[in-house]
Amino acid sequence: MIKMKTELPQIFDSFAEARKNGFLAMKKIKDSGKGVVGQFCTYTPLEIFMAADLVSVGLCSTSDETIPDAEKVLPSNLCPLIKSSYGFAITDKCPYMYFSDLVVGETTCDGKKKMYELLAQRKNVHILELPSRQDTPEAKALWRAELVRLKKRVEQDFGVTITDDMLREAIRRRNIERKLLKEMYELSTMTPPPITGLRQLQILFGSQFKFDWKEKVAEIRKAIDRIKEAYQAGERPVLDSAPRILITGCPMGGVTEKVVKVIEEAGAVVVAFENCTGAKQMDRQCREDGDPLTNLADYYLQIGCSVMTPNKNRFELLDRLCEQFKVDGVVEMTLQACHTYAVESYTVKTHCEVKNIPYLQLETDYGTADIGQLATRAGAFVEML
Amino acid sequence: MVKVTIGIDCGSAACKGALFINGGVVATCVRPTGWSPKETAQAVLEELLSKAKVSREETFVVVTGYGRLGIDFADKKVTEITCHAWGAEFLLPGVQTVIDIGGQDSKVIALQKGKVKTFQMNNKCAAGTGRFLEMSAHRMGIDLSEFPVLLETGKSCSLSSMCAVFADSEIITLLAAGKSREEVAGGIIRSVVARVVALANKIEIRPPILLTGGLADFEGLRLELEKQLGSPVAALPLSRFAGAIGAAKIHTPGQD
Repeated sequence: MIKMKTELPQIFDSFAEARKNGFLAMKKIKDSGKGVVGQFCTYTPLEIFMAADLVSVGLCSTSDETIPDAEKVLPSNLCPLIKSSYGFAITDKCPYMYFSDLVVGETTCDGKKKMYELLAQRKNVHILELPSRQDTPEAKALWRAELVRLKKRVEQDFGVTITDDMLREAIRRRNIERKLLKEMYELSTMTPPPITGLRQLQILFGSQFKFDWKEKVAEIRKAIDRIKEAYQAGERPVLDSAPRILITGCPMGGVTEKVVKVIEEAGAVVVAFENCTGAKQMDRQCREDGDPLTNLADYYLQIGCSVMTPNKNRFELLDRLCEQFKVDGVVEMTLQACHTYAVESYTVKTHCEVKNIPYLQLETDYGTADIGQLATRAGAFVEML
Repeated sequence: MVKVTIGIDCGSAACKGALFINGGVVATCVRPTGWSPKETAQAVLEELLSKAKVSREETFVVVTGYGRLGIDFADKKVTEITCHAWGAEFLLPGVQTVIDIGGQDSKVIALQKGKVKTFQMNNKCAAGTGRFLEMSAHRMGIDLSEFPVLLETGKSCSLSSMCAVFADSEIITLLAAGKSREEVAGGIIRSVVARVVALANKIEIRPPILLTGGLADFEGLRLELEKQLGSPVAALPLSRFAGAIGAAKIHTPGQD
């Protein structure tokens, strides 16, 4: 069993108020005796941590603050998500990374995979071997075996026993959460949508950082009810005529909200997110009856990320969302040096062309220097719709 | 009723203006943008009004270009991509592809029935832009306007850098290695055009092709473009005003 971290970092005193509060909130959770597991990827089965009554938190950083620190070790021509996450780990500036007793990485992209080796020098890291394909019995068996290994690691590190019933209860809870978030974003199937894409993204992104499940579910419910009430009361934050945009590509949140902002400032509205912050993880439900680990393995392996080859599930979801949300244009956000999404963007582009849906790719990073350029591209795209 | 519209294209290097009365160009004007896009655009506006002897009250002003966001007197703001497309369609009806090489970016626009079908712009780097040509000219101790003379010799060399800053040091190395200014100038033009052609290759380019933007008058550049694209590229006397003309044409008086 590992020793759980409860003390604040040495540089705590130098932090600004908001960051101090973030650390203190996490410390409170740690002081209550709860263990924290950090993870980086939608493929990570959070149910295993939930079943063990651990707090799980996403560690994908979304700001460029620690990139210069990361670049002392990592190459500059690397995905900003990887650099930034590593940078927060080595500087003790992120409360979630800092208080994580176990960090679970996965073999999605090459950059992350190698970064985890470096991260393991400072943190207690467990790596899930994610297969590169979704449709063979061997891939499915490997992934299930990896979940068994993860469960054992959690049991060992935190001194707990995870039963099938505990896993089933966690699956049930996560399904409720997925269903609610899906209900929330599906409100934007209406014309005009009752919320802007920025608000939708902020609700989706924010839900990752609420650690009490009951409170989280109640809050999402409340948000949905409020949105509906306001709409019924005649509030229209979005114009009827606003072109409807679907965003696809790399995970979003934090600094990359800028992409949603430039699109909406140009007069369009983002109605759906076909990415890891949005529909990729909420769209489907995990099977509840039967062997829970097999159900989890089956559910998670089918997420349509560009690391998979072939990646049919992404296109199936993309098509369905385009139709359901009556999408006028698709904007793909790729992060600098994300090879799999960048290469696949050509397939998405031609796929959209065949369906007669205008498509725009925007490559960006965690800086703010390109906002003018993004605004011109997004503006021209919206003007041509 | 007399219908007066003004389009102002405030780019990173130059601010261009065009004034239309009843659908025809009556006046054009161009000034270096300088440090204040807002003040320069104001000066362009006033010059156009005085040339055409009309008042601000009877005109509708559409602004475009990177400086558009800071201009508060505009009646409407539109991106330069849409404006270049509209302007190109006015200058060369039926145009299918627009290549605009501007001060800080270059873009290739595919048109369909006079509207933007798709477009490509260069990324953050200045390679393949007017700014890069200006930097290179400066590096060789000449003025940008002297560039075409150097090109007339037909000499050239190869520049391999993809980045404007590295290309700059490559130019120093080439000059130090004894290459003539004529050869280096030829290499620079080839490099700028190669970057633009790489953009063009990402979309389906079809003739007629119109070159717009501040470098449209640069004959050597146009010829190199034709050579690398393997297709004729037109440049017209008003090509550099395409963005401003498009901005003015976007507005049909009485519709706003």
